[in-house]
Amino acid sequence: MGIPADRLPDETLLAGFGAGDADLSLAFVRRFQRVVFGVALTVIGDPTTAEDVAQQAFERAWRHAQVYDSRRGSVRAWLTTIAHNLAVDVIRVRTSAPVDPQDLPALLTAMTDTPERFAVAHDNAAGVRRALAALPAGQARAVAMAGIYGMTARQIAEVEGVPLGTAKTRIRDGMEKLRSAYLREDVGDE
Amino acid sequence: MSELNEMSCEEFADLAAELALGVLTGRERARAITHLDQCDTCREHVRQLSLTGEEMLGLLPSREPPAGFETRVMGRLGHPAIARRPKRTRRMLATAAVALAAVACGLGGWGLRGAISAPSAGNPHTAQASVRTAALLTAGHQTDGRIFLYNGSPQWLYMAVDMDADMSNGMVICQLEASDGHIITVGSFHLDGGYGSWGSPDPLAAGDVTGARLISLNGTVLATASFTAAK
Ligand SMILES: [Zn+2]
Repeated sequence: MGIPADRLPDETLLAGFGAGDADLSLAFVRRFQRVVFGVALTVIGDPTTAEDVAQQAFERAWRHAQVYDSRRGSVRAWLTTIAHNLAVDVIRVRTSAPVDPQDLPALLTAMTDTPERFAVAHDNAAGVRRALAALPAGQARAVAMAGIYGMTARQIAEVEGVPLGTAKTRIRDGMEKLRSAYLREDVGDE
Repeated sequence: MSELNEMSCEEFADLAAELALGVLTGRERARAITHLDQCDTCREHVRQLSLTGEEMLGLLPSREPPAGFETRVMGRLGHPAIARRPKRTRRMLATAAVALAAVACGLGGWGLRGAISAPSAGNPHTAQASVRTAALLTAGHQTDGRIFLYNGSPQWLYMAVDMDADMSNGMVICQLEASDGHIITVGSFHLDGGYGSWGSPDPLAAGDVTGARLISLNGTVLATASFTAAK
């Protein structure tokens, strides 16, 4: 047979994790550790700090499992948000710029170039992914710097060497295009 | 009325994305939030942008954590003994997983997928999902299986049995006991060499279940489980 516990639905594993069930907890951590660590590592860059943040994310998820609301989004999205918030808190206290814009094209390629995982199940994600791939480079970088690295428009303007107004417009226009794509896929779902 | 400080919807739209991504600061942020408090349209706009931002984070590449990560997480949460669980339990859980996967895949028409991917309609209600679990015990207090009640949306229960191999082949019946004492039969399943598992949407409110039992077709009680009272 050999069917692993990770065939259980995400919500079940989360509920078991929150309730302290050892088997379900382990299956939960195994299922989501790559996602959580991936978010932390992308934002933070340093594996040691990223691991610490990823562990904190699981701890926070464990504490708050009771208030997870499936209507707000998937377990994966919820955990991603937790890990992201913790990671951004870490880089905000740094004095250096969170990310070198030179490094962004590689990240954006990784984000838009993995169709197999999103092709079937995540229609909103597929829409956002396509829209992100289609953004003008400046808007894509601005959206990534704000949305992933938590950089303000002022910080983005500085590292990009553009006026503040330009940075703000790039964030706004880029996000609006992603939002349209997100909504389009949403309607297509029903 | 028209305070200098007040923000129009048009002005707000310029800042909505920054607010949604959490990168708006200082006075701009304060003014934007003031506007948000009194404008449903802009609030919905920001909600959509936030969900879009979350979706974008979902595109971040997964990465393999350093070796030993899961052990350290489990230790941190007080689950140090993972490595030495008996084989029997593992096998049983695997069986349960099969049953639950079948149930979750939509047998009985209640697939979880639709329920979880539905975007929020802005409902502020907070779900209180939890799992209650109890051991199925024979008259001799031997653990013969486990029953799980998931008090989420949808509610479900499943039961996994791993009796001594010589024990039974054949049908068994699962019954639940409600807090008012009445017993309902919720289903039957097949034991094969002592193994079997079965899942179903919970016919009672999960909080209302106080016990469960497994009986043979001739009415003999094979095992019972009792849940501690829900808080
Ligand atoms: Zn408005």
